[in-house]
Order: sequence, then C-alpha cells, then structure tokens
Amino acid sequence: MHEMGIANSVIDAVREEIARRPGARASKVGLRLGEWCGVDAESLRFCMEVLVKGTDLEPLALDIDFRPRGSELDIAYLELED
Amino acid sequence: MERVAIEKKVLSENDRIAQALRLQFAECGTLVLNCISSPGSGKTSLLERTLEGFSPDTRVAVVTGDIQTDNDARRLARFGFPVRQITTAGACHLDARMVERSLHGWDLGRLDLLLIENVGNLVCPTSYDLGEESKIVVLSVTEGDDKPLKYPGAFAKSRLMVLNKIDLLPYVPFDMGAARRNARSIHSDIEIIETSCTTQSGVETWRRWIAGRMRAATQSPH
Repeated sequence: MHEMGIANSVIDAVREEIARRPGARASKVGLRLGEWCGVDAESLRFCMEVLVKGTDLEPLALDIDFRPRGSELDIAYLELED
Repeated sequence: MERVAIEKKVLSENDRIAQALRLQFAECGTLVLNCISSPGSGKTSLLERTLEGFSPDTRVAVVTGDIQTDNDARRLARFGFPVRQITTAGACHLDARMVERSLHGWDLGRLDLLLIENVGNLVCPTSYDLGEESKIVVLSVTEGDDKPLKYPGAFAKSRLMVLNKIDLLPYVPFDMGAARRNARSIHSDIEIIETSCTTQSGVETWRRWIAGRMRAATQSPH
C-alpha cells in the first residue's frame, strides 16, 4: 500500500545521484529487498514504472535482489550511461 | 556503462528522523512503544485497559494514528492523560516525521512512557522506524493463527506479541499453540502475553511488562 512512497524515495535518490554526475543518464537501479521489509516487489515495480513513464528517467530498469528472512530496504547500486 | 555503488537505505530520511527521536527519548528517559496490528485486533481497547490502570500521577501520553477520524483519541482521552491523534489522510502507516510533529509542545522530560498506536495495518508500519524502544504486535484470536507466517515482518521486528481477545477462544477455531509456534518460527525469542480486554485477563501481566521496560529504559539509556 505504501509502495508508491517507497518508489518516490528511490527516484529521489536516483535523481540526487545523477545530479552529481553531469551528462550521465541512469539506465538501471539495483535494490535489495528483504522478505520482511514490508514492501511488495511486484507492486514496487509497478509504481516505479508509473513514476518513470514520460519523464527523462525513462527507460529505467529495476533489478531487485530479494533476500529471504531479511529486512533490507536498500538502494544497492545505479548503472549509468555517459 | 558504469555501475556506482549507492548503498543507501530507501527510507534513510525517515531513519534519520527516527534516530534523532530515539536519542531524544533516551536522553529524556521516555520509554516509547510502537503498537502494530491489523485493524480490529484491539489495540485501542488494550490501551484503554492500560491507561485505566495507571495512577493519575503516571507520566504517560499516547499518540494514536488512523487514516481518518479522531475516534480513538477521544476514547483514550477519557482517562485524563495527554492524547494526540494523527490522521494520516490516506497513508497506511505512521512515519517518523508524523510522530515528530505530533510531539510538538510536549515536554518529553516530563514523560516516562509514550504509547504509539500505529495505523491498523500489519504490513506497511513495519517499514517505518518511529524511534521506538520496542515494537509490539497485537494479534487477536478472531484472526488466523497463521498470521505470523502470512505477515512475518511485523512479528520479526516486534519484541512482544500480545495475543488478544482470549475470552473468545471457545467460539473460534484459533489454535494458541500454533500461533505461538508460528510466531517463534519467525522470531525465536519473541515474548508472548495473552490478554482479554473484556475479562481483563492478562492485562496485569502486560502492565508489568511495560513497567519492566520502563525500568530498563531509565537504568540503561541507549
């Protein structure tokens, strides 16, 4: 239910990162998602798609590293193209 | 193509505020408990029974979250202790900033206990640290005894599970042993207290549990 807010936070973090690297564009963001973090991966995927659609971030691939019995909710990495 | 490590928590802003709150609570010696459950498990009833057992000079306050209405705050204010309602207007959980704002004007130095009643939801509140000392998960026997397996996050992160509405056990197919086993398969040392807010059974045990945490909070600040 709160995946839209989570997706927004991810996108804010992506924008913050590319702002530091003029000319770079983000092609993929990697997240670590624990089973117990309270976020549904498919719902988050959908929210990310909706938020990116029609913006300068599109297309942005999403790589979710699912961790059984974990509580992680982290942005692990960002892939950039020059 | 270049890959850069970010290694940042998605909720880092929430976590930053929560950590500042936690420090403030520790400095003031205020024990903060964050109560989580699905809607209708009896969080408000449990808090009513809790407040009515306190002597009037107990330095306790309550922050209660709901999507709409101040019904819970009105129920809880009857006991004479400070109560504030957070209406989230759609958000399915409380976050640290909402709690920070709700505390405005309260002198934490004069509070020994702050009870936070989260929005009724067993999923989203588990993602948001509110700076609490412990999370408490309330599960009532009118729900399934497999709920700890279906919603593991809340049980994994809670210090205590309150099994509520035990007066209804004769009328529902709820297996207490299975509920305990399921909770402990997720969180092996979760503490468990059985209560009924109708018969008051177990309420004294719950109050003693809180008193124990309060003593621990004042003796060993974080």
